[in-house]
Amino acid sequence: MKRYLETGNFAITEGAILAGCRFFAGYPITPATELAEAMSSRLPQEGGIFIQGEDECAALHLCVGAALGGYKAMTATSGPGYILYADPYGWAIGSEIPVVILNSGRVGPVSGITGAPGQGEFYLTRYPTQGGNFETIVLAPNSAQEAMAMTVEAFYLSERFRTPVTVLADQLITDGFEDISVPESDGEMEEMGFRTWPRKINRGPEFYPAMDEIDVPPVVLGHNTGALCSDWTPTEEGYDIEQVQAHHKHAYRLIYKVRNHRSLFNHLYEKNFMDDDPDLVVVSYGTPSRVVNTAVKKARQSGLKVGAVRLINLWPFPDEHFRRKTKYLSVELNWDGQLVREVQRAAPKDSEVHFIGSCGDLPTVTDLIEAFERLLQGQSLARRGWELEEW
Amino acid sequence: MDNLSKKYLRPRKIPSTACSGCGLGMNHKAVVQAIYDLGLEVEDIVWGTSIGCAGRQTFGTWKGDGFAGTHGRVYAIARGLRLVLPPEKKIILTVGDGDAFGIGLLHLIHSARSNADFTVIVNDNLGYMSTGGQYGWTTPRGSKTDSSPYGMYEQNLMSDGMDVLGVLRNAGATFLARHVSMDGQRAVESIRKGIQNRGFSLIHMVYPCPTNFGSRELGTRDTVKIYNWIKKKAAPLGEEKENTLWATGIYYDASNSRREFSESIHRNIEKIRRTGTI
Ligand code: SF4
Repeated sequence: MKRYLETGNFAITEGAILAGCRFFAGYPITPATELAEAMSSRLPQEGGIFIQGEDECAALHLCVGAALGGYKAMTATSGPGYILYADPYGWAIGSEIPVVILNSGRVGPVSGITGAPGQGEFYLTRYPTQGGNFETIVLAPNSAQEAMAMTVEAFYLSERFRTPVTVLADQLITDGFEDISVPESDGEMEEMGFRTWPRKINRGPEFYPAMDEIDVPPVVLGHNTGALCSDWTPTEEGYDIEQVQAHHKHAYRLIYKVRNHRSLFNHLYEKNFMDDDPDLVVVSYGTPSRVVNTAVKKARQSGLKVGAVRLINLWPFPDEHFRRKTKYLSVELNWDGQLVREVQRAAPKDSEVHFIGSCGDLPTVTDLIEAFERLLQGQSLARRGWELEEW
Repeated sequence: MDNLSKKYLRPRKIPSTACSGCGLGMNHKAVVQAIYDLGLEVEDIVWGTSIGCAGRQTFGTWKGDGFAGTHGRVYAIARGLRLVLPPEKKIILTVGDGDAFGIGLLHLIHSARSNADFTVIVNDNLGYMSTGGQYGWTTPRGSKTDSSPYGMYEQNLMSDGMDVLGVLRNAGATFLARHVSMDGQRAVESIRKGIQNRGFSLIHMVYPCPTNFGSRELGTRDTVKIYNWIKKKAAPLGEEKENTLWATGIYYDASNSRREFSESIHRNIEKIRRTGTI
């Protein structure tokens, strides 16, 4: 194990290389540029390929092309670039190509603020492309070290499910310097819980495995298997076909190959002080969860019955954490409230679900504890809740 | 193309689902003939296709490996694939004019810029015909389509002295040719040369669409009428007449004169890995 004081971008780069990534195509964008830069210096040392696309749409297409040729590939961006992935993201979902995408969230909409953390793409990562009829896998680390682990995990899941996986971080995670341990052997990787999955080559021409089956090697071109790959509704052999029945099978597969194998990643969450059925459960992911954890711990010390659920696997949404009827509070880096809607949907019908958002800044521990107190006393949230106070 | 098709094409997809009388089959045949003439086998080629008549009708016809890309992005996919496939594997893309010269032009130009080794056959039916017939970026001035009911009056890549091949030449392409689908053996020869170039090659091949272009512009789906209409407007380079829209033949041949994209990248990576610098 080697220790570094380094950025999340460094950690993600090393994680990708440990996972076997040997292709990175990027396009400069704050705050993900440093990741592309790190890749440009590290990948050639490992015999890997680094390249810049003419835009983000091309960058992800380049990755998908390389993945089709048998490489583990990755790209990275922020919100304004992520939206340009819509085209290749959908293609990779529909043609079942494994590829990994990092999104370092900044403050939107559009260009917004480049140098501050944001969480505006919670739903965008669920629907990164058009058309529906698919499920996505999204992982949200809250530290540089975990960003490395989740990058490795993203490659693992993308291979097993034959689908793109997004690692949703934010500007503080990718740019911030932290203590990072990089494993140096397979044994150390195992010790740290890093799972890897080799790229396998589909030797048969069949594009289309049965229903919700996983661990099917993805289509790889160039090995004379006669493999066909397209985003059209495929027949069993991979031909395109305009037929509703065939499309039912296709759509079922794209949804249920993920939903029916949730056990593979539903350990990706963290619960703090949840053992005594707290009266208020604070829900968050990414950077705000670190403030939440401190606030909950402090609130506990002063006798408030508060607990915290931190999501690492965002999609498919882990409904199972919200079965209990209690008060919930979602803490997010946006003002419109995104995660909170999903909590409202997953929680029992008459549960109270509240929201605190911020826009370009982080909530403070004091702010949060004050909010906990108000909610536990049955008061509403005046500031930064659903209804913002006038400026 | 019986023998050729037995050797190279999947029985399930041939004959294709193109409209009867469509000229696309002639272009398709010329490509397969060129492959045969070069002595290439099924496993030597990965075949990519785009969206629209040209893409959809040729997808899955090749017996070997193939893919259908998103609209206009197949040039970026092919570049990714080029970087990771062995250099001796040929990549051939059969695409349409809307795909290459409209939505995909940025990616096409960057493929020419990087001199990526693949051969693009742009099958030009003079507009967006699979969506019923709207004008595109090579539609002759004045032509009537469903979105140019008064005649096409926008400047485009083939009007007012413009030539899309000139754009690509300046962007760095190393082999460029133009044909109409009735060019037969001359077209086959250009395609052959394009495939032989280890770099970016593009062959622009105008073909007749009786169903949508012919019926709107000429008022008839008569195959012969649209065939003759196109033929009359084409002439070999150097023999152009006043009404020539498409000067046919090799427009630019700088085959194997510039370092190829993936070769260049791999050479540099190899050097960095060994010495830590380029
Ligand atoms: S619409 Fe025109 S170009 Fe398309 S298949 Fe029919 S005839 Fe051919």
